Amino acid sequence: MTVFELRGGCVALGGREILHDVSVSVDSGEFVAILGANGSGKTTLVRTLVGLVPLSAGTLEVFGTPLARFRDWPRLGYVPQRLSVGGGVPATVREVVASGRTGRAHRLRRLGRADHAAIDHALEDVGLSHRGSDAVATLSGGQQQRVLIARALAGEPEVLVLDEPTAGVDADSQDTLAGALGHLAGQGGSVVLVAHELGPLADLIGRAVVMSGGRVASDGPPPEPEGHHAHVGHIHTHAHETHDRGHPSVLEPRTFDR
Amino acid sequence: MSFLEYEFMQRALVAAVLVGVAAPAIGTFLVQRRLSLMGDGIGHIALTGVALGFLLGTAPVLTAIVVAILGAVAIELLRERGRTTGDVALALLFYGGIAGGVLLIGLSPGGSSATLVSYLFGSLSSVRPTDLVVIAGLSVAVIGVVAVFGRELFAVCSDEEVARVSGLPVRFLNILVAVTAAVTVTVAMRVVGLLLVSALMVVPVAAAQQLSASFRATLVGACAVGMLASVGGLVVAFYADVAPGASTVVLALGGFLVAALASQLRPVR
Repeated sequence: MTVFELRGGCVALGGREILHDVSVSVDSGEFVAILGANGSGKTTLVRTLVGLVPLSAGTLEVFGTPLARFRDWPRLGYVPQRLSVGGGVPATVREVVASGRTGRAHRLRRLGRADHAAIDHALEDVGLSHRGSDAVATLSGGQQQRVLIARALAGEPEVLVLDEPTAGVDADSQDTLAGALGHLAGQGGSVVLVAHELGPLADLIGRAVVMSGGRVASDGPPPEPEGHHAHVGHIHTHAHETHDRGHPSVLEPRTFDR
Repeated sequence: MSFLEYEFMQRALVAAVLVGVAAPAIGTFLVQRRLSLMGDGIGHIALTGVALGFLLGTAPVLTAIVVAILGAVAIELLRERGRTTGDVALALLFYGGIAGGVLLIGLSPGGSSATLVSYLFGSLSSVRPTDLVVIAGLSVAVIGVVAVFGRELFAVCSDEEVARVSGLPVRFLNILVAVTAAVTVTVAMRVVGLLLVSALMVVPVAAAQQLSASFRATLVGACAVGMLASVGGLVVAFYADVAPGASTVVLALGGFLVAALASQLRPVR
């Protein structure tokens, strides 16, 4: 079954085309990494896949349904790139994770047993069960990133889309993260993630889509770790040099929550 | 207690309890969204509504509520379109609201800027029996919105994009917050006044969050602080003969100071 089917996708933001004729398809059970330099369109691509950025041309189907008619949102989990969790009011780790369940919950009913079980599992998966009642702001950056992932997992999605989940995350959290994603993949779930450095995720990745200048530069098995030069950092460096020099104005739009 | 011997004080007291609970309840979501000043903006716009009521010879509360809701929806739609242009657009709406209010009251027969003062800072004697019914109904509606949609509002106010991808009706919920805030502003205008209504939506939240780790505890604590401040403010206003809005907000700020000091002694985990 196909999770995402993007054909000839073009995206323009602020009058500038960011993605040019991108075709990517993700099957159920796949673990796909989107790689590429800063400004290559990775983030825009995943934001397009989850319906946050409209296509200016091309078509997108999600679970076989054109995006405009897609209603089965709980099947999708999304972990945006955020510097920290939460807004202006304190919230506990459990409250934030539970909010990921809202799409599946009934408006007029309290959360049921299945909801609480899913929230418990999500907290367990990211190793934060013992921090449930702590204010999320008291957690480290890596732990907050894990909270964001738990929030998505609490909705029990079939596919998880993550934007740079490992950016600025300590080694312990990266390992926990890899464990949680491995667990999801082991249960038949699909994962699409944007990454700059793969770290402990490298072993999980079955396919790498490398973006460059808003186009798919390559799509296939992940680069074999063959000494220093085969690392993702290598791709990153070269893409920067060859591409960014030609298009100095291409910068990826990002939304950060303060 | 002697102040309860007066019927207008009994009415004002009931109104203060209701407004004291309703304003921080919706205010918590505005603070969560980092839109603490939205209530302020709506208050400015509502002033035009009040003056319009005087000009047309209808109840100022009714015109205020209509204009406040229109203004709040406009603010929300501007916010949705982006931050840079939204910021200035909001400022234009706010100033337009105050200027429009003063202009319209000047044009209305027998009206002057002084007429607006009781709406700007609240007035004890202004709560009439029919007002009380309206205030009670609308306060219950505001609290009902928070009770029914609270979970979804928390999700949207915490992370709008994730809420969108979870399939929540984000635009509906955003407009619901805006309209509920507008209703709260007009309900609270009699008790604390339009210029200070936003304070009753925000200051109790700021106080409660000094001592709590959770959103729910902040929400409940803010409602308690809001109620104590508005009831206490009313009593102070009665005995000291000052505008209730001022005494209420000063009490709420006192609550914030106490909570902030207490949190230094007992840090939140």
